[in-house]
Amino acid sequence: MTAIAQEQEKQTLVQWLKKHGSTAASLGGLIFCIVFFSITTGIKGESIWSGDKLSTLIGDVIVTALMAVGAVFIYSLGNMDVSIGKQVGLYSTMLVLIGNATGSLLPGILACIAVAVIIGIINGAAGELLHMYSVISSVVFMMVISGITTIIYSNVGSKNIILSGVDLSFFRSPVNMVIVLVIEYLIIGYFFYFTKFGKYARAIGANQTAAAQSGVNIIKYRVIPYIFLAFCLVTASLFQMGYTGAASDATGTGFEMNVMVSLILGGMPLKGGMKSRLSCAVIGALTFSLLAVGLPIIGVPTRMTFMIKALIFLVVVLITCRQKTGPLPR
Amino acid sequence: MVQEMEKEIIFEAKHMRKEFGPTIALKDVDFTLRRGEIRGLVGENGSGKSTIMSIASGMQPATKGEMFYKGQPWKPASMVEAQDAGISMILQEANTIPGVTVAQNIFSGHEAEFSKFGVINMVKMKKAAQKVLESFGVGHIKAGDLIDRYTFEDRKLVELVRCVTENTEILVVDETTTALSLEGREILYKLIHKMADQGKGIVFVSHDMDEILEQCTDLTVLRDGDIIGHLNRQEMDAADAVKNIRYMMVGREIGDKYYREDYDTGHQEEVALELQDVSLGRIEHFNLKLHKGEIIGMGGLSGCGMHDVGRIAYGLEKLSGGKVIRNGKEIKTPLQAINSGIGYISKNRDTEALILNGPIQDNIVLPSIPALIRKTFISPKAEKKLSDAEIGNYRIKCHGGKQYVNTLSGGNKQKVSFGKWTAKGSEVIIMDCPTRGVDIGVKQAMYTLIEEMKKQGKAILMISEELSELIGMADRLIIMKDFAVTHTVERSPELKQTDLIEYMI
Repeated sequence: MTAIAQEQEKQTLVQWLKKHGSTAASLGGLIFCIVFFSITTGIKGESIWSGDKLSTLIGDVIVTALMAVGAVFIYSLGNMDVSIGKQVGLYSTMLVLIGNATGSLLPGILACIAVAVIIGIINGAAGELLHMYSVISSVVFMMVISGITTIIYSNVGSKNIILSGVDLSFFRSPVNMVIVLVIEYLIIGYFFYFTKFGKYARAIGANQTAAAQSGVNIIKYRVIPYIFLAFCLVTASLFQMGYTGAASDATGTGFEMNVMVSLILGGMPLKGGMKSRLSCAVIGALTFSLLAVGLPIIGVPTRMTFMIKALIFLVVVLITCRQKTGPLPR
Repeated sequence: MVQEMEKEIIFEAKHMRKEFGPTIALKDVDFTLRRGEIRGLVGENGSGKSTIMSIASGMQPATKGEMFYKGQPWKPASMVEAQDAGISMILQEANTIPGVTVAQNIFSGHEAEFSKFGVINMVKMKKAAQKVLESFGVGHIKAGDLIDRYTFEDRKLVELVRCVTENTEILVVDETTTALSLEGREILYKLIHKMADQGKGIVFVSHDMDEILEQCTDLTVLRDGDIIGHLNRQEMDAADAVKNIRYMMVGREIGDKYYREDYDTGHQEEVALELQDVSLGRIEHFNLKLHKGEIIGMGGLSGCGMHDVGRIAYGLEKLSGGKVIRNGKEIKTPLQAINSGIGYISKNRDTEALILNGPIQDNIVLPSIPALIRKTFISPKAEKKLSDAEIGNYRIKCHGGKQYVNTLSGGNKQKVSFGKWTAKGSEVIIMDCPTRGVDIGVKQAMYTLIEEMKKQGKAILMISEELSELIGMADRLIIMKDFAVTHTVERSPELKQTDLIEYMI
């Protein structure tokens, strides 16, 4: 190979890395976790790919991934929703209470969708109409829903409620979990990449003024992503509640952080915009769950796994924030 | 003036090369600046004229080559280091620090001069800053005010005050004048001539040929990262200088045809856009009728209200009175404007007209998305076809529609913002400073395009701070001052800039 050809190859590689750096890093992180835990858990004699552990892994991934796929829409706007966890907690509770009252999941699902869509519309529109960071309205919802959940559980007189009389085996099958995730990914993927909803959301995230001057109705297309998220949250709540057959006042606590960390680990640009990718949700959720399931197997104490996850999160945020145009989402 | 032979070289670059990935911005450039020179640097967008001086002033390193400053090897690590050593550069973009006072901006990095025991004496700093502002003739800017209170033009002047100190040996003015009004420009011209007389070196980068020929003592022409030639004052004064320089810049005969050559002010009877008794802020009871096949030019100083008229016509502002009418319907939002066939090119290209951090294709197709939808599906093939057609029409220099807009030169970015509306098939196009920061080759292409649009029956509202292009292109010219129309004149070969300036100031 001549020196010129070598130089050109080097240049091409540098260009590729610059363009696809975050994809390469996030995929690299996932591959590293897969290889690392395959070897280390194998040495410990408790392989992460054993039927039992794989089932735990999928069970852990599914709820985060279902939420994160919907949240990509919100993050692509340059927004963030911190009420996600509390919403999942509320919908899980509603599913149990209405399920127990009616003996079916369907009325609960419909009620959850109605509430989720209303919350989504208010969350999406408030930022633009009230000229405030949209994360503020999600903080308000987080607190309001927390209050509602507390009232519900104090009225019920228990911190834990169990759904009875409804067959939940569908939500416990790892195969079904994967199928539902794939279906959700394909549906959201279609809207995100091939319809105006996704294109406008990314345009708003990249430059709201330019999008508005190009005819994008900012309020409308800021609200619609939250409606997609609403459906994804109800789906996630079904699997969250269905897996255990119960809900408690602590259900969903911290899920919004799991989503955020997953998206960041998956290479989602924090400022949103044109480089937002749906694959970030699944790559990130898988990496995050591999850490959650793999670290205890190799003997890392639980309290340390939180520290390690926090450390990884911190490093990724620092790297992202060092980019000139990469402010944290609002 | 110091004689040519006696002029000492203050800065020299030898075999300078700069690469940005696969793009070569400078090939193998030798450049010399002597004391007492005001050296103009001209070239098309992407020719490398700004790159040379950005390397000299520490903004970025060269890929190869050597530099010498006052006879010593020169390799600045940052702009601060270069400025401390005497090389200052005023950039095209806004470069002030928001959220702090004018004084803090002026003495940014030099706070220690006003500090005692780690506490900055703000009163002392403010006084010193005001004194400096007065010495530059911009005393209307108050040192104690927040910088955010001032217009882009005033902030540019603050930058000038900050950059130029007694230590400054070389001042680089990089396309700054496009942001300045006539008054601001005069302040800058006076300063650079004073500095040149003191034996300092000035590098003046501009697209404005008249300005270059009036202000510079020497000229260097670049094309595609190479220096094509140098001209001295005598050569710049030659009768065919402009033609020669344009030829050197573009590499082909530009021809005499630049603006429209006809003086036909005819247009169709049908009104394409009407502003009826419009009021907004200081604009009161403004009326305008733009016909099909007509080009209306609006001129004035930057704060005269003409830019607001463009925004009003596009439905970007909530009016306190009056209506904007198109095809009998009222226009209240940009979406209504677009749907009725109006396109708008904002003067703030990088912040309002384009998604810089997005692909060319996504920018071009954005207003056309509703037309591309089949049920809910938008075909990537249809998007590519639409975008590729515009890339071809405007000859946008790029590797393809997937290339990000922020990697394009200023002229090519502007072509993308034009492409958005031609792709959409807009019948009325509001252009606010359409050729700002665009080189002559592209300008000529745009003027031809605008003329073509007129022939196709499109209606054009052309708002510009360049009187020459308004005179050259418009059928009817409206001059504004203090948010009101002061003069309206029809296209005519006798019309001169001097006839209009009195209505602007």
